[in-house]
Amino acid sequence: MSLKTKLLLLVTIGITASVGAVAWLIEERAHEAFRQVEQDRTAALVNQFRREFEHAGDEITRGVDAIASSDAMQRTVTELANGAEYANYVNEAASNAAAQRLDFLDLIAPDGAIISSAHWPARFGYKQRWFLDLPSPLPRQAFLKHVETPQGSVLAMLCLRTVPVHGLNYYLIGGRKLDAVVQSLSPPEGLRVAIFSVPEQGTGELIGPGKESFDPARLTSLIQKVLDKRTEDSATVDLGPALGREEIVHAIPLPGYTDRVPAVLLVGNSLEQELLLEKRIRNISLAIAGVGVFIGVVVSGIVTARFSRPIKTLAQAATEIGHGNWDVRVETSGKDEIGKLAVAFNQMTTELIGQRERLVQSERVAAWRELARRLAHELKNPLFPLQITVENLLRARQNTPQEFDEVFQESTATLLAEIANLKTIIGRFSDFSKMPAPQLQAVDLNELVSSVAQLFQGQLNRDPGRIQPKLQLGDVAKVSADPVLLRRVIENLVLNAIDAMPQGGTLIFRTMTGSDDRFALFELEDTGAGLTTEECERLFTPYYTTKQHGTGLGLAIAQSVISDHHGRITVSSKKDLGTTFRIEMPVWDGAGEGKNVGVS
Amino acid sequence: MKRLLLRLFVISSLCMMAGGAYGGSRPRYGGSVRILLHDRVLSIDPLGDEDRPAARDRMAALAFEHLTGVDAQGRLRPGLAVSWHADQSKRAWQFRLRLANFHDGTVLTAADVAASLAKSNPAWKYSAIDRQTVSIETPYAVQQMPELLALPRYAIVKRQADGSNPPILIGTGSYKLNQWQAGERAQFTANDDYWGGRPFADSIEFQMGASLRDQLMDRQLGSFAATELSVDQIRNVELNNQTVTLSRPADLLALVFVQPDSGGRPGRKPVDARVRQALGLTLNRAAISNVIFQRKATPASGLLPQWLTGYEFMFNGASDINRAKELRADAAAFVVISPIALAYDFADPLARLAAERIAVDAREAGIIVQPYAESHLYSKAARGSMNADAVLLRVPLQSLDPSVALAARMDDLGISPESAPAIFGATRPEDLLEIERKLLETNRVLPVAHVPQVLWLNSTAHNWQQGLNGAWDLDQLWMEGAR
Repeated sequence: MSLKTKLLLLVTIGITASVGAVAWLIEERAHEAFRQVEQDRTAALVNQFRREFEHAGDEITRGVDAIASSDAMQRTVTELANGAEYANYVNEAASNAAAQRLDFLDLIAPDGAIISSAHWPARFGYKQRWFLDLPSPLPRQAFLKHVETPQGSVLAMLCLRTVPVHGLNYYLIGGRKLDAVVQSLSPPEGLRVAIFSVPEQGTGELIGPGKESFDPARLTSLIQKVLDKRTEDSATVDLGPALGREEIVHAIPLPGYTDRVPAVLLVGNSLEQELLLEKRIRNISLAIAGVGVFIGVVVSGIVTARFSRPIKTLAQAATEIGHGNWDVRVETSGKDEIGKLAVAFNQMTTELIGQRERLVQSERVAAWRELARRLAHELKNPLFPLQITVENLLRARQNTPQEFDEVFQESTATLLAEIANLKTIIGRFSDFSKMPAPQLQAVDLNELVSSVAQLFQGQLNRDPGRIQPKLQLGDVAKVSADPVLLRRVIENLVLNAIDAMPQGGTLIFRTMTGSDDRFALFELEDTGAGLTTEECERLFTPYYTTKQHGTGLGLAIAQSVISDHHGRITVSSKKDLGTTFRIEMPVWDGAGEGKNVGVS
Repeated sequence: MKRLLLRLFVISSLCMMAGGAYGGSRPRYGGSVRILLHDRVLSIDPLGDEDRPAARDRMAALAFEHLTGVDAQGRLRPGLAVSWHADQSKRAWQFRLRLANFHDGTVLTAADVAASLAKSNPAWKYSAIDRQTVSIETPYAVQQMPELLALPRYAIVKRQADGSNPPILIGTGSYKLNQWQAGERAQFTANDDYWGGRPFADSIEFQMGASLRDQLMDRQLGSFAATELSVDQIRNVELNNQTVTLSRPADLLALVFVQPDSGGRPGRKPVDARVRQALGLTLNRAAISNVIFQRKATPASGLLPQWLTGYEFMFNGASDINRAKELRADAAAFVVISPIALAYDFADPLARLAAERIAVDAREAGIIVQPYAESHLYSKAARGSMNADAVLLRVPLQSLDPSVALAARMDDLGISPESAPAIFGATRPEDLLEIERKLLETNRVLPVAHVPQVLWLNSTAHNWQQGLNGAWDLDQLWMEGAR
């Protein structure tokens, strides 16, 4: 990952995190503010409901009190107590309820039998005893209770009064539907209210203006919780994707005349506005983050251009140096760390060039010394017979002139042989110094290897050291090489291998495509005595040889040739198991046709 | 002398008082009688499928006469026929007509009567023996033919078709129809040529569709001679020392299940017989009669009241909730018990209350009854296509003869007339008892109460004759103060 990418990533993460944190903080604050407002609004609505509830209760109480204390009712109960027919008063409740605007009114006999019912006139004669079982005194205030009607059970606000006469208690139970109380509420926008009626038998139902908008199925658990605990509770209700909003629903139990909760007030507070605001905050945050990232990209681009360009230049210069271009230099503008680094780099390059030149000089001196040592060594061997032969000639001239001719003949032959030997030595040195530049062309490596193996077929089959050649030629591309020079290298390697296997063995010729498609490989594996690690390391050093009569230049020349082809020659060996030479040759790409490669 | 003068003064005073008294109670001709009706009558045709047949028949009785009649005490008397006789089999009857004229001045003939009766009952054969004699032949014995012919549907009507639709109806009654506004107002004027003599009142005017409030106001203003009342209004009227006349509890309030072959709710099966029986056992007839009908009605266990037949007590009308529950459970094991839609007359608040009471009592046995109001409950054609499983009907007692009353009641309730021959052939009360028992055993009709007809009468109206069954006879009616 480049510095620019890292810097860009860092800036992006930094900006995004900052914006996200700020957005989260704003959202949290907005959330708290909305919750506070929601609680206030709910509390206000609940208070309004309680006031309406009390007000309605007072009205009902007044109405029932008015009926109970009216002269007509006193006369009625007196007549009833005196044995009047109940049938004469079957419509009594309806007229009284209408006068007091009550939805429900029952006139009940002391034994609980309904004498007259305003809301269900046909129910006369049936008994209502629930209030007779209540502990004394009977409730004075209005209370909630379900009332049976022809249409089913209806949640009502009731008031109970006794009308005593002649020691008998007649009862009046009057009231109104609770949903009328809820209808009078005027919830502000975003709030809705309904009452969940819980009858003593059967399933509950929603009543009130907001009953259509509440989904009882989504509120079941909340309502059940409130009914069980008899304390108010709230829950966030997902109204589903159709409505696309959430709502906080407060459930407040409404007390009845016993411990049983007859109804639950539901106040729904829409979170639509809050969610809308949160969405806006999120969108704005995303926009800010986007702009921030864009600015970050620009800024980081500028910054990285400021910082990474010199570093990149340094990296390129280092690469150039790695490729041998020691003349490369970097600009040293600026006095910051990057500038100092450039100066240091240039200094380092200068130092390296100096050290390299010194190393080259020392190597050159060492090479000359080695050359002189080898030359001296090589020349010393033929010189000593020359000196002996000349001294023999001199002694024969002086001591045995009669045998001088014979000695002269022999000495002359010896001198010529040694001089020829000297010429050979000198010729080899001359060859090493006059290595020709390769004429590159497309060479079929398999064909070349096959012809070399064919050439050495006779030598390989010699006795007693018979060598078994094996050709393992792969599907390799043509290589870029001078076929004469490459052939000489391979022939040299084969000769070395033959020398390494005096007792015979196996010689494997192998070609293959290298791990890098741009190179083809040739391996020559023998089963000779093998080499030590040290021998392997020094094997390509000029004048180093493991053979008694070798000059030590063959493999050095081979390495030089392969190097001139931009290839590589290596050796691997295991003692007593054999040695493998490997040559990597660049694949012919057509660009080097007829091209001379300079030899450095 | 002083004693003589004193005696003369006393005698003259007594004579004056007696004369005054005689003059105060003597019928007077003239004046208009205004009657307030609760129902709206759309046609006066006795054979029409009228929504309000009872009110229609009351008005029709003024203009149309029958061959025979029944007086207020239920005694048979001649009508347009002065005499009659039957053969031994009671299947061939001959009626001798009196001399009478239709309102258009034409003379009543046997052919007119035969034509009229043929429309009333096409199943029988009618023929004019001579100008004044008409014969009736029936496929089965009809023991009470004279009583039967006193029913409203057998009114003698001349239908004068002049291209208009419906035809002009002409009768022979003591009053003739002068003005007719369907559902609103009807005025009958005295028939000066009436064979029985001109009625006292110059005209009788019916105002229809009066609400309870209108009735109350009109009673207080005294502008009407009479208004119909419901029994729950009796107490208030009596508290004001006003005159209320009640018939015997003659009308039948009954719950009738809609027959499968006469329509009923589309796509629904008729109510299971066990459920019908269970519903009958839940009826608290006493509560309905005593409370809703203020003890003016009597619980009905039979189709005809006890005071008419003497055998109604043989039918058990007691409620038995436990047995009803058993029957319902038994039925529920085999069929799905759906709520029973019970239609009641929207114009009758007491019928509504009774229907609701039936629903309340039925709940005790787990039977759901859903009462709802219908406006054309008494139209047989409308009833056939009604969206109801059962209807709560109040039908009048059309005859004081048990056989005829039973036959008419079955017709009004929409029960198939298969048993008509048996009814008309019955000669003993036991025969009628058996017929009625068989009818009630099907539980297709659940009698609820026998209800009286109630009438408020202005103190200025005299000789208002109301039969035991509530039928009106206004021939002798006269108004005090009429000139």
